[in-house]
Amino acid sequence: MNYSEAHNLLLLGGILFAIGLIGFLTRRSLILMFLSLETMLSGVSLNLIVFSKMHHNYQGQILAVMVLTIAACEAAIALAMVVSLFRRKPTLDVQAWDELSETIVPRSLDEDFEGFAKEEHYPKLVPAGLDPLDQPMPGASQAVLEKTTGTLSGGATGNAEVNQRV
Amino acid sequence: MNPLSIDPSRLPVVSGEQIPGSLSQAMLLVILLGAAAYLLLQHGVVKSKAILAAGLGVFALAVALAFSVIPLQLDAIVRMCFSVLAVGGGLAFITAREPVHAALGFATAVLSACGVLFMQSAYFIAAATMIVYAGATIIIFLFVLMFAQKSKLRTYDIQLTNPVIATVVAAALMFAVAWSVAEPGEVLPIKVDLTRPYSLAMPGDAPGVNMPPTAQPEMTAQELEAFTPAKTSGLGRSMFTDYLLAVELAGTVLLVATIGAIVLAQRTERDAA
Repeated sequence: MNYSEAHNLLLLGGILFAIGLIGFLTRRSLILMFLSLETMLSGVSLNLIVFSKMHHNYQGQILAVMVLTIAACEAAIALAMVVSLFRRKPTLDVQAWDELSETIVPRSLDEDFEGFAKEEHYPKLVPAGLDPLDQPMPGASQAVLEKTTGTLSGGATGNAEVNQRV
Repeated sequence: MNPLSIDPSRLPVVSGEQIPGSLSQAMLLVILLGAAAYLLLQHGVVKSKAILAAGLGVFALAVALAFSVIPLQLDAIVRMCFSVLAVGGGLAFITAREPVHAALGFATAVLSACGVLFMQSAYFIAAATMIVYAGATIIIFLFVLMFAQKSKLRTYDIQLTNPVIATVVAAALMFAVAWSVAEPGEVLPIKVDLTRPYSLAMPGDAPGVNMPPTAQPEMTAQELEAFTPAKTSGLGRSMFTDYLLAVELAGTVLLVATIGAIVLAQRTERDAA
């Protein structure tokens, strides 16, 4: 293994670790924070394996196996925790669980956020139809009108009669 | 006594591999460009396509500059492809807004890193990583994401906490890594116990024979192989002899974690009510 190869791979491990660090610090979804952690771990095990090859022994590889074991444990525990947290509050936002934090820390970033704000279009309901007592439908048959209003001959006079009777 | 039939007198005494000179200062520029590219990308994903394109351009510039700085040999091109895939997947992972896309970017990054591990002849670890990360973690978490996620993007996926500070911290870390890789200091000669070549090779004053550098022309292929940690059987032999206690402890930790996960995920009576 020449030195430039090891050099590049150590840099790659560092880059993976830095990417995971950025993800862990910025992400707010519980699951994506966890995946950032796994990215950091994979950068570390890449480093360990490169060291193992540089030093011509298996120590680094064995440490990488241990890292992998702990990562698997961590995945199981984290998934169980996410599930049980999600049952209490149905959100993956990590800021839903910051009751223990300092009170001077700004509570949430959501207020001043404007991106993605789309105007929402709801259908406007115009009042439709006719009040059958005020304005009987023009084409309504006489039988229906009589059934609903009693003894009516129809039209405006019918309304007047109704009003008188009431 | 010597199962490898290596004559110790033939092994030359070396005082460590000679380390080539320092890293070019352009690496600092590469790291700064990468940080700027991340910020542009993460703004551009939310705001506009022009910023996104600018971020991608800066990222490409950083990659090109890194390739011009890092010495690239012909046999390293596949490894470089894997590396670029890993970094690109990681970048997609931290810039994507859709959580499922981010998880797929993570899978790309980890699988490409596994490709690099294969090329480092760490076969067992590469396979195990693929099974654990891509097989178990990604699948399970994609399930959870898809169940928990409505079709609409949530605010907590869009609005990140302090991306600038995080980028500055990560760039400082990257710079420290690049600096320490460039200036590694003196490398001690490595000694190896020839009766257990798979085992603890120690730098410095450990008992054993001085380890030769890899490219000794007078060594046979078999002798070289004895000094290259490239066999899964060797890994297993070392793991179950030198590190038996650690393996047992790791198994215990796995058992405890399994029990804990089952207990934690159980539905309590209060939840059911």
